[in-house]
Amino acid sequence: MLSVTQTADGRGTRGQLATDAVGRTRTARPDVRGLELIDLRKGFDEVVALDGLSLAVKPGRMVGFLGPNGAGKTTAMRSVFELVELDTGEVLWDGRPVGLAERLEFGYMPEERGLYPRMQVGEQIEYFGRLHGLDAGRARAASARWLERLGLEDRARAKVEELSHGTQQRAQLAAALVHEPKLLVLDEPFAGLDPVAVLTLAEVLRSEAERGAAVLFSSHQLELVEDICEEVAIVDHGRIVATGDVDGLRRASQHRRIELQLDDAPPGWLPDVSGVELVERRNGSVRLSAGREVDPEQLLAAAERAGRVVAFSYGPPSLAELFVELVAP
Amino acid sequence: MSGRTAIALIAWREIRERTRSKAFLASTLVLLALVGGSAVLGRMFDPTTTYRVAVAEPAPPGLGAALQHAAEPFDDAKVQLRVVASPAAGRQALEAEEVDALLLLSDDRLVFRANVDAKAAAVADAAVRAHRRQLPPAPELAITTLHPPDEETTDAAILVAYVGSLLLLTSLAFYGQWVVTGVVEEKNNRVVELILSTVRPRHLLAGKVIGIGLLGFAQLALVAGLAAALLVSGVFDAPAELGGDVALVIPWFALGFALYAVAYAAAGALASRQQNADTAGQPVTYTLLGVYFAGYVALSSAPDGLLAHALTVFPVSAPLVLPARSALVGVPLWEHALALVLVIASIYALVRFAGRVYAQGLLHGGSRLGVRAAWRLTQQR
Repeated sequence: MLSVTQTADGRGTRGQLATDAVGRTRTARPDVRGLELIDLRKGFDEVVALDGLSLAVKPGRMVGFLGPNGAGKTTAMRSVFELVELDTGEVLWDGRPVGLAERLEFGYMPEERGLYPRMQVGEQIEYFGRLHGLDAGRARAASARWLERLGLEDRARAKVEELSHGTQQRAQLAAALVHEPKLLVLDEPFAGLDPVAVLTLAEVLRSEAERGAAVLFSSHQLELVEDICEEVAIVDHGRIVATGDVDGLRRASQHRRIELQLDDAPPGWLPDVSGVELVERRNGSVRLSAGREVDPEQLLAAAERAGRVVAFSYGPPSLAELFVELVAP
Repeated sequence: MSGRTAIALIAWREIRERTRSKAFLASTLVLLALVGGSAVLGRMFDPTTTYRVAVAEPAPPGLGAALQHAAEPFDDAKVQLRVVASPAAGRQALEAEEVDALLLLSDDRLVFRANVDAKAAAVADAAVRAHRRQLPPAPELAITTLHPPDEETTDAAILVAYVGSLLLLTSLAFYGQWVVTGVVEEKNNRVVELILSTVRPRHLLAGKVIGIGLLGFAQLALVAGLAAALLVSGVFDAPAELGGDVALVIPWFALGFALYAVAYAAAGALASRQQNADTAGQPVTYTLLGVYFAGYVALSSAPDGLLAHALTVFPVSAPLVLPARSALVGVPLWEHALALVLVIASIYALVRFAGRVYAQGLLHGGSRLGVRAAWRLTQQR
C-alpha cells in the first residue's frame, strides 16, 4: 500500500497517488480480467463525489452497487464512460485503461433515461448497435432479437414517445444490450418497474452474466439485490465501505438478528443478556439485535424462562440491515 | 470504430429522420414553386415592350410596318416610329431619352445611347432587310452608341442580390436552428450520455453539422440551381451572367453553414435544461441578422465603399455579403480569394473553440453555462 503524505496542496498528493496506481496496475496486474475502478476521486465545487473509490467486476459476475443517495454511485458509473472527468484515478478493463475502443464493448443504461423520442424503436436500437460497431445486418438482426426477447416486437415501428414509461424502459435496456456487451453498467435499472418487469429484467441480467458479461447495477431495492446478486459493493461518502459476496458480508457482520415470538410473557419483557438490543416489537413478536459473541442458546434459555416460545430465529443480518449498519451516519 | 464511421452514422441518422419530416419536404416544394412561379408570373405580367425608334427624314414608306412586323417574334413587342428632321435632331431626342434608338438609313447605322439593346437591334436589322428585300447574312446595320456603355446595375441584378442574400440568411438561420434544436433535445432527454459513451463529442458535432448541412445544401442547390438555370436559359428578362451570381449562393451557403452551425451547436450545448431551443440559438441568429442588415445598408448606399469591401471579406459577413455584392457590382478575384481563405481559417478556429465548448456544455447538467465558464472548464483538462 502506498503511503500518502498530506500536504497543503491536496491535489498534488492525489495526483502522485494516481500515477503510482497506474504504474502498479500496468506492470504488476496485466492478467486481471474485467472492470477495475482504482482510487477514483472527483470533487464538484464544494462536494466530494468520489473519495478514493475502488471496485472490481469480473466477467460472468453480477455486482449490485448499493449506497444512499448522493454516495457517488452514479458518478462512479459515469466515469466508466468518461462522462465525468475524474480528478484522479484509473478505470481499467482487462488491466488496460479504458478508451473508446473498450467502451464499444460496454453497454450503458444512464440514470436519467434517454432515447430519441421521435425515432422508431426498432431503428433506434439498431442505430445504437451500429454506434457500437455492429454492421448494418447484424445490428438489424440483434435489434429484432432483443425486441422479441423483451416483448416489444409489435412496437418496433412505434416512436419512442408513443410508448408507456415501462415500455420505454425496456427499449432503453435493449439499447444497452444490443451489441452483446462484455460489460453492462446499469444505473437503477429496476426503478419504476412493475413486479413482472422486475422479474424479466432480473432474468435478463442473470443470463447476461451467464453469457460471460460483467454486470454492475445500482439499486435501492435491497431485498431484490439480495435475491439476484451473489456480490455487492456498498458505497458511502464516495468510498466503498463493504464489498464481496453477500453471504460472506452478512456473516462477517458484528451483529446478529434474533426474532422471537413468545406467549404469556410479561409485557415489556426483554432478555437479561448483555449485548442485546431491542430493534422492534410488533404483534407479540420481538426483533432483537445482538453482538455476534452473544450465545443464542443463552438467549433461548432466557426466553423459555419468561414464557412459551412459539418461534425463535437467529442469524446474520439481512442485506438491508447490513446496509443500514454500514452507512448509518 | 473509426471517427469517420461514427460521423457518417450520425449524419445519416440526421438526414433520414429529418427528410421524413413533412416540414422539410413542404419547405422544399414551396421554395421550388416560388422560383418556378416567379418565372411564370414574370412572363404573365411583363408588359409588352415598346421600342421607340427615331428615323431621320426622309422616312421611306412602309418602314413603320416592316419594323412592327419584325418585332412580332419578340414577345409581341411594339415599335413606335418617330420621324425626326435631321440626324442631329435624332441624337438630341436620343440624348433626352425620348427615343431608345436612332436609325440612320443614309449610312446604315443604328445608334443607341450607351447600352446596346440586342433585341431592338435585331428588330431594326430585320425590318431594314425586309424593307430593302435583302436576305441575310450580309450585315446591314452598323451599331454604335453615343457614349461608352455605362456600368449601371440592372434591376435584375438588384433582385438577385437581395433575394440571394435573403435566401442565404433564411437558410442559415433555418438550418442553424435545426442544429440548436437537435443539440438541445439530445442534451435534455439525456440520449447524449448514451451516444457519448461510444462517440467523441467532436464526432457527434461533425456528424450533426454535416448531416443537417447536406440537407440544407441539397435544398438550396435545388432552388438556386433552378433559378440559375432559368436565368441562363433566358426565361427571366435578365442578363444570363447573373446565373453565375445566383450559383455563387450555393458554395457560400456551405461555407456560411459550416461557420454558423458550429456556433449554433455550441449555443445549444450551453443552454440550460429548462431553456428551449429558440432562445438558445438567439445570440447566433442576432449575429446573422446584424451582418445581414449591415450588408444591406452598405450595399444599398455605397456598393463600392469601404464598408462594403470590408464586409465582403470579413468572415462573419462574407457568406451573406459576397454573393450579393458580386451580383450588384462584381467582386474582384483577389477579394473572392481573400474571403475564402479568411472564412476557412475562421471555420477551423471556431471548430476548435466551439467544439470544446460544445463538449463541456453537453455534459453539464442543470443551469445555463456561460461561454467563458465552459471555456475555462476546457482549460482545466
